[in-house]
Amino acid sequence: MSLFTLQDVTVAYQKQAILQDFNLSIGEGELVSLLGPSGCGKTTTLRLIAGFLQSKEGKFLFREKDYTKVPVNKRNFGFVFQNYALFPHMTVFDNVAFGLRQRKVSKASIKDRVLRVLDIVSLRGFEERFPAALSGGQKQRVAIARALVIEPDLLLFDEPLSNLDANLRVNMRVEIRRIQQELGITTVYVSHDQEECFSISDKVAIMNKGIIEQLSDPATIYRQPKTKFVADFIGFKNFIQFDRRRQESDGIAATVQGITLTVQQQDNAGGLVGAIRPDDLRLYPLDAAPMTVENAVQGKVLISTYLGRSYQYEVQTSIGQFTVNDDAGAAPLANGQDVVLEIPKKQIVLVD
Amino acid sequence: MRNYYKYLLILPGVLFLTIFMLVPIGMTIISTFFPNEAAADTSNYASLFRDSYFLEILWTTLRVSIVTTIICMVIGFPTAYFIARMSAKMKAVLLILTIFPLLTSPVVRSFSWMVIIGRNGLVNEALMGIGIIQEPLEILYTPTAVIIGLVHLFLPLTIITLVGVMESIESDLLTAAASLGASRVGVFTKVVLPLCVPGLVIGGILVFVGSFTAYTTPALLGGQQRVLSTLLYQNANTLNDWHMASILAAIMIVVTFIVITCMNLLANKLNPRR
Ligand SMILES: Nc1ncnc2c1ncn2[C@@H]1O[C@H](COP(=O)(O)OP(=O)(O)OP(=O)(O)O)[C@@H](O)[C@H]1O
Ligand SMILES: [Mg+2]
Repeated sequence: MSLFTLQDVTVAYQKQAILQDFNLSIGEGELVSLLGPSGCGKTTTLRLIAGFLQSKEGKFLFREKDYTKVPVNKRNFGFVFQNYALFPHMTVFDNVAFGLRQRKVSKASIKDRVLRVLDIVSLRGFEERFPAALSGGQKQRVAIARALVIEPDLLLFDEPLSNLDANLRVNMRVEIRRIQQELGITTVYVSHDQEECFSISDKVAIMNKGIIEQLSDPATIYRQPKTKFVADFIGFKNFIQFDRRRQESDGIAATVQGITLTVQQQDNAGGLVGAIRPDDLRLYPLDAAPMTVENAVQGKVLISTYLGRSYQYEVQTSIGQFTVNDDAGAAPLANGQDVVLEIPKKQIVLVD
Repeated sequence: MRNYYKYLLILPGVLFLTIFMLVPIGMTIISTFFPNEAAADTSNYASLFRDSYFLEILWTTLRVSIVTTIICMVIGFPTAYFIARMSAKMKAVLLILTIFPLLTSPVVRSFSWMVIIGRNGLVNEALMGIGIIQEPLEILYTPTAVIIGLVHLFLPLTIITLVGVMESIESDLLTAAASLGASRVGVFTKVVLPLCVPGLVIGGILVFVGSFTAYTTPALLGGQQRVLSTLLYQNANTLNDWHMASILAAIMIVVTFIVITCMNLLANKLNPRR
């Protein structure tokens, strides 16, 4: 059952609509990430859920109740800001206790709960420090503690790790996932770091220009992107625009300019665009190609670039230009060399 | 060798302040203890502080300055809060309107207040016209008139100072407080107000010191009611008693200094941001 639902929501700044007829539904206990390029509306979505923004149209249902007009301070959602937004005039203890004091929790109980949550984020002993005397990672954890201590019905993160260095980022995201699972709090997490999203989420929503293009678990998104945008965003660099496709016994036969490629049967129908990653293509010199090349296409190497672990080739064929990553172990191919390109049928994904 | 050149940068300022401020002030204060080039003598101070005329003027000056400061803060704070939360365009317009009065001289402004609050001024005419009062109110030439004039003089300064401080408060802090359950009032008292303490102190000092030493406004609106600055002027220019004028100047400097120190201490106590 879903915990909350955004129904046909429209948000606009001035006249410009940022989200239009937006829909999103998240299940109890899930951690869902919003992932997408800068400016696609991730923060807007999160602020809408938190109640910082009002939608022009549409509904926000929370536990089947209409929350559209419920003010921020009555929602009981925890929000972790990108820049932490700790109160600079309060100690760590007072920062964390803030939400409880607003709820008129008794003094003894406040102390108890604050210390417990500081334990969870490993900040015991920092109670009397002021935010100015904390490192970035510590501020981050205070911000999380402050959001957790009110036992929120929903936890919202807006790029919480973007100000931290790479090592700390990895540690903190593991922490966040651990805490989230331990306490079973439904969480919406915004980031534009793909690895971060994939590693901690139950589901990832890929957003583009105010629309969710795909909402699935990370593995599905990785293997079966639904649209060209999603495929491109997660690293399918090569696209083939087919003219037509036909169902065959051993898969789908897709044709472009008289050349027919076999594509393995896939779960979702997909469209007429074939997508494939540079890593999944293979190249052979024309005179040394084995007999059993799947979907062989002839071409010529345009540019080769040494990437350390592999070579990257730009290959021109009759059905378009391809980027191919090939092992650096084999003898490198020269610019202008005639080659055979193999497009393994298992690796092609048909997208819209 | 250490780099001492950077001190050259502050040299002109230090020289200027030393020659034109520290030395004359020091000489003035020292001279108050040597009325007849004889041995040091503090009897003048002692007799002054037993003089009820002087004490009354000192008290009036303090009262007028304190009341002016409080009124400026009370009016200025909400106004500044309102302005700080406007869009950039609206804010520019409102700030220009705020500093507009600063473009006219205190003399002109005092004269316009005479027209407004005088015996036959606008206020009295209006109040008598609608029958609220029978006799005209005596506002002009009282401490109240001085306070009105001073508030008018210093309110723009207060507002500008406070807007500056409020703008430096991240808006996410307010949103954060609200998302943690704070009501509008809670956000204001728990977050906005404490973070404004530095602004309130700076604004308070500006207004207090300004009012305490103001001359034009009390001279024009205060009538027979003297304050320290007008008393000083009277001693120096009319009575030609430069010694007494120096003593008054010294007292004003010391009081100002004490007040600034107290307000800073208070601010540190109220504002634990480190
Ligand atoms: N206050 C505002 N007024 C006008 N337009 C805004 C405002 N805030 C955001 N926008 C616009 O709304 C769009 C979505 O913004 P949003 O902050 O949701 O993007 P985002 O996906 O969070 O991007 P990023 O990854 O860079 O944080 C952007 O095009 C942005 O320019
Ligand atoms: Mg954002």
